[in-house]
Amino acid sequence: MEKEEIVSRLTPVFRKVFADSTLVITDQLSALDVEKWDSLSHMLLIAEVENEFTIKFKLKDLNKMANVGDMIAIIESKL
Amino acid sequence: MVFTSFNFLVFFPTVLVVYFLLPQKFRWVFLLAASYYFYINIKPVYALLLAGVTLTTYIFTNLIAQTNSEKGKRLYLTLAIVLTLLPLLFFKYFNFVNEGIYSLLNLAGLHLQLPQISLLLPVGISFYTFMALGYTIDVYNEEVEVEKNFGIVALFLSFFPVVMSGPIERASNMFHQFRGKLQFSYEMAVSGLQLMLWGYFMKLALADRLSIYIDAVFKNVDQHVGSSLMLATLMQPIRVYGDLGGYSLIAIGCAKVMGINVIPNFNRPFFATTMSEFWRRWHMSLIKWLTDYVYTPLSFAFRSYGKWGIVIALNLTFIISGAWHGAALNFLVWGFIQGVALSVEMLTRKRKDAFEARFNLSKKWWYIMFGCVFTYLLFAFSLSFGGDAATVPEVLKIMERIFTDSLRLPYKDGDTMLYGFIAFSILFLKDFMEEYYPGRILLFNNKNNTVRWLSYYTVIFLIFYLGIFSGEQFVYFQF
Repeated sequence: MEKEEIVSRLTPVFRKVFADSTLVITDQLSALDVEKWDSLSHMLLIAEVENEFTIKFKLKDLNKMANVGDMIAIIESKL
Repeated sequence: MVFTSFNFLVFFPTVLVVYFLLPQKFRWVFLLAASYYFYINIKPVYALLLAGVTLTTYIFTNLIAQTNSEKGKRLYLTLAIVLTLLPLLFFKYFNFVNEGIYSLLNLAGLHLQLPQISLLLPVGISFYTFMALGYTIDVYNEEVEVEKNFGIVALFLSFFPVVMSGPIERASNMFHQFRGKLQFSYEMAVSGLQLMLWGYFMKLALADRLSIYIDAVFKNVDQHVGSSLMLATLMQPIRVYGDLGGYSLIAIGCAKVMGINVIPNFNRPFFATTMSEFWRRWHMSLIKWLTDYVYTPLSFAFRSYGKWGIVIALNLTFIISGAWHGAALNFLVWGFIQGVALSVEMLTRKRKDAFEARFNLSKKWWYIMFGCVFTYLLFAFSLSFGGDAATVPEVLKIMERIFTDSLRLPYKDGDTMLYGFIAFSILFLKDFMEEYYPGRILLFNNKNNTVRWLSYYTVIFLIFYLGIFSGEQFVYFQF
């Protein structure tokens, strides 16, 4: 799967979880940039992303996700 | 050795002088020696336990790093966690489990006398155990490089400013500082001493002063009217803030004077408008630790349940936190109240946000104040279950009395109430200004020498004038 496709499928997931219909995803985007992105919503996001791509993350993967770029790289490695 | 003891007032300056006189490369070695001296001073035999946990951590982190197979790494991680936790679990829960078995046998008609060991919890055992576990898990998760130098690991786990009550430090923040240049910095030394001064004020002038009233009331609940119980209940969060917050500032300040940055532990907690915000401002190093090593794995495991998975993880995390605070039902209730409050806030957040946006409330001062007061009251209520001697029926009785017997005048202890009030007002004003008007009034950081020194002397004077000098222990030493 191309990176663009991953981004286009991730966007609605992010918009839904953070209830923000204008949210734009970039590689650098992180929890610091999104007000509602805290340790509670983070896990909801993880579960939604897993469903969207029918993949399973490992707990170790979570620690390596400092921003959306890292998340996309991990998703790519699982597809 | 306690920060408020005379011994410490001799120990710390002596350490500082030798530390800065030594060539830079030997400073960490000296810090390690000083830290063990500091710890041995409490009870020599407990230092063996600290050394044991250190050795376990060192061996297993290196094994984890050297092993290639995931299975092997997991095995070493599991072994490390079990071995590191054993002493803490033993000291904390031995008598609790023992009494449980005894009463069960009693119920079954067997009157066996089991050995009762009077165990004093080794000071700081929770804190260095948590730090050791955190480091081991970080190595497993490849978040920090394994440390090959045993001395650095030993210093990390015994570093005297934090060994007794935290802040619960991370390897990723400390190792590179210990390995790097430990040099004198005038700015850090001044800022460290300022933090220590505030810390002493919070502990001696506020926490120990309020303790007189709180203890007088809670040690004789039956003799006091509801309004006294209410007053004491309301004072509790301020007492703990003064005590643990004060301790933390002294610890952070000590380290800073030596050129070492330690993570913060409190961030003006009483200006939180929700419980979730409160827990991002109160005992932050513990909450960060719980979030990373308990809540995250739990919520990850329950993630397929969506919001309810988070509710389960939140409640379990705080119940575990409660069980850590003490082996009794009341501490579980304390944890459960936090878990429920945070869950309710999470589940209603969308609606609350919409409501606030509709009436444009989030910037209104009275709405913010309402949030702060409500959060404070909820925390004060939960904290009444967090006391050592508070069994659940006793707390419920106190609550009942507060609601039915608060019309009479409370127990009056003029000096304590007046001095406590003055000390609290000063701290409250300081926090208030820093929260809402940062940089508006500079006292400790004023460029004018006279203002700066006048503020130092005023705080020193207030510590002596309002403070209690009876060598009270810090509350969190018992953990």
